[in-house]
Amino acid sequence: MSSTAANFGPIAASGKEALRLAMQRLWLTGRVLPAGAHLTIQHVFRSEEEKPLEVIYSFPLPRDAALRAFRITGDGFEVHSELIETEAAVQAYERGIAEGSLSALARQYGDGVVNLTVGNVRPNETVTVYLELLAGVELRDDGFRFRFPFTLAPAYHARMKAARVSEEEGEMELPPDQFGDMLLPRFRKDADSLHEVGFDISVLHQLTIDEIGSPSHSIRIRQDGMAPAHVALAAERDVPNRDLVLDVRFKEIASQVLSGATGDGVRSFAAIVPSTLFGVSPKTARRTVIVLDRSGSMQGAPIEQARKAIEACLAVLSKEDSFGVVAFNNNVESLHPTLQVASSENRDKARAFLRQVNASGGTALAAGFEAAASMLNGASGDVLILTDGQVAGTEQILAQARATNIRLFCLGIGSASQDRFLSLLARETGGVSRFVTARERVDLPAVDLFASMGPPAASGLKTAGNVQPEPPSVVFAGNPVLLFGELSGTPETLDLTWDGGQMSLPIPTGDGQTGQTVRLLQGSRLITDWESRYPAEQALAPLEKRKQSRVAERLSALSRTYGLASREMSLVAVVKRQSDRPGEIPETRIVPVGMPQDVKFEAYFPPAPPQDFAVAVAAPLGCVIEAAQVGYTPKPEIRRSFGLAALRGMFQKSHTPDLDSKIESTDDLLVHLASQLEPDGGMPGQSAPERAARSIAALLAFVASGHTLTSGAFRSHVARLVQYLKSTGEVPDRKILDVAIRAAGTGKVPPGDWLAMARTSSVPWRQVEKALTL
Amino acid sequence: MADEMTLAELAEASGLAARTIRFYIARGLLDGPVKAGRAAAYTVEHLARLEKIKKLQAQGRMLSEIGRSLAGGTTPERYAAAPTAWWRHAIADDVVVLTRSDASPWRTRQIREAIDELARSLQSAGDEKRSRK
Repeated sequence: MSSTAANFGPIAASGKEALRLAMQRLWLTGRVLPAGAHLTIQHVFRSEEEKPLEVIYSFPLPRDAALRAFRITGDGFEVHSELIETEAAVQAYERGIAEGSLSALARQYGDGVVNLTVGNVRPNETVTVYLELLAGVELRDDGFRFRFPFTLAPAYHARMKAARVSEEEGEMELPPDQFGDMLLPRFRKDADSLHEVGFDISVLHQLTIDEIGSPSHSIRIRQDGMAPAHVALAAERDVPNRDLVLDVRFKEIASQVLSGATGDGVRSFAAIVPSTLFGVSPKTARRTVIVLDRSGSMQGAPIEQARKAIEACLAVLSKEDSFGVVAFNNNVESLHPTLQVASSENRDKARAFLRQVNASGGTALAAGFEAAASMLNGASGDVLILTDGQVAGTEQILAQARATNIRLFCLGIGSASQDRFLSLLARETGGVSRFVTARERVDLPAVDLFASMGPPAASGLKTAGNVQPEPPSVVFAGNPVLLFGELSGTPETLDLTWDGGQMSLPIPTGDGQTGQTVRLLQGSRLITDWESRYPAEQALAPLEKRKQSRVAERLSALSRTYGLASREMSLVAVVKRQSDRPGEIPETRIVPVGMPQDVKFEAYFPPAPPQDFAVAVAAPLGCVIEAAQVGYTPKPEIRRSFGLAALRGMFQKSHTPDLDSKIESTDDLLVHLASQLEPDGGMPGQSAPERAARSIAALLAFVASGHTLTSGAFRSHVARLVQYLKSTGEVPDRKILDVAIRAAGTGKVPPGDWLAMARTSSVPWRQVEKALTL
Repeated sequence: MADEMTLAELAEASGLAARTIRFYIARGLLDGPVKAGRAAAYTVEHLARLEKIKKLQAQGRMLSEIGRSLAGGTTPERYAAAPTAWWRHAIADDVVVLTRSDASPWRTRQIREAIDELARSLQSAGDEKRSRK
């Protein structure tokens, strides 16, 4: 691990003056396993003020995460935290502050936000807090994605207040009756002048790693066979304006069991079972509603890509399927109040609808999925939500989602994590979530997630033995099942049964450290699930009243059993020193964070409104836009047509260099092909042979790019093309069709530049025939 | 209640966390204690100020606005760029309301609610006037 450079001296972007940072460094270390991560975050605090400081660092928990402990170190001391009831922890902290002692408190609030407060840092003193936490990962059949938040995204709430306090900073306040005394940081437009961040972590694995990559940071990887891989930030340091995202992909798809002894004759385990071991999804008619978040924070590439993704998803649908499209911000707009048959005409209407959708306003997420629920009208069906998830008060939204009784599949888009919330939203409603950064392609993961929707690969899943939390009852294609549990006594296997199948999974002896880690991961997952069911009015009630709450009781019990913090139990430490000066009030500072790199500062912190109306009217108006009816929703996209500067803003692309490029990538082409599929599964054309020829070219283009009937984001498109080719008649030679269909099954493509052929709008049958008979 | 309170007593009386009170002091919303050191004490004036801050917050004011208002400032600090456009809401034959088009989502919502309310009140006033005729 590199150390803080002695000459590290941040400079303010505006004014160039040296900044006095209360927190100077945040460095992530630890072990990432396929079932979750055991992490230690180093926070270096330093006071250059004349008075003692009280520093508050506010951060979001990753998915399925819980705090375990911290140690606080400095010149001549090292003290470990205690895990005690939150009220007692706050009192212990306050007593420490009153006595002039260095004190630290890590307390969790709603939405998984944590305030780490370190009080009485003396002038010119450096204090380091090493915070230990457990976190989950996003699993896929062939690997996983690990995500760690280095910043806190601003979040929309109907009662939030936000203002720009300077050219560079904005602040946000949430109603205390719902969020208690949680303090939010200021959001800085330019994160360059903030504390340095970095990471150096190990990736443990049982399967051979094919690839480790990061769409968020430049990384340095040291990897040697089956030994843990080491992944570190390539640069000396970075800035806190986005999450760390690491993708680990294995060379094979197989079960993994992590285990080890955790007590007398007790073995804790985490088993990851790929969906492919359960079977394949049966084909039935789909009823799907796609819900698009069009709030202001989605401006730019996210909404552009989401639009493309929806078009590609719609292309998977056949004539038997029906669909709906909903777009929401503060208001909800639907393509049609009821589900529509997936005909060419209706899909064209959906495309026209999506073209007029622009990003503005707030995020009324619950209104979006409630509109989708009403469209499904109590019958079965799936909902795919594309959102950045930047909302506050998530426990209430989760309760609303559970009440709608619909299955939500979530595709999160953003550079700062709301991963915890969206993974809960999907899991609590029986769906699946994916979270991509705004600089990645969002259309491919959307198509991949869409392919997982529909009928599950297995239903009625049950396990023998002590497995907690309860296993999901259904398994979706592409998404493995993660099971945490304990075995005691003689059985050394875990038995799984589901409708029409069964499996016996050996649980190896493993090692004590792994056993301990998976037990903690099980605890953090259970605590996260219960936290999500803790309504604000209960969580903020006085202790006596909370004692009657079932959720509070369960959280306390889980915290004690696993030794992990929750909203009921917090971590506190007080460092008593001889030179403590009782009664001195420390100066309170909140550590600012960087605005997530792909969220426009102005989307949350626009220029302050005019001081008073008279001044406003007297000011040069520039232009006035007619809002003829009261209650008419202003549409900023109209306003943008005024003024050259506004026009420039409209066409300015904020990121994603590959999208700016005029050269079409393979993935662009595949998305384009996917969006062209007709309701019968074939490509369009003037005649049956031409349609068959174009369909063969498209099919082989998909297969040549790694997408087959069972793997790859476009597996549903491959299946539909194959189905079309099987059913089509009127072609000169059926053997040609069979060659292409076999290729989709084996993944082996006959020689030829199928991508180039698929790119053209007209493919004569002769050309395909010639290529496949050579 | 005693004339002087400890921070814990002030927190108890105001219903605010001690950390929040220290934060208000650091932001200049509240004066520091009247005595320093171990005997640090707060008075009923501190409590009254905290009650006022809570009241203003409940009215939808942000701490930065409250700070300026409590300091007696009449000209708030402004970082507003010149507006590029205004929305014109013709809410009655004889009333037009202009609103800044680039306000934040929460502010836009507040403004729209206020305009709706004004429009409704003008509408009902007009209806009453017609029915009296």
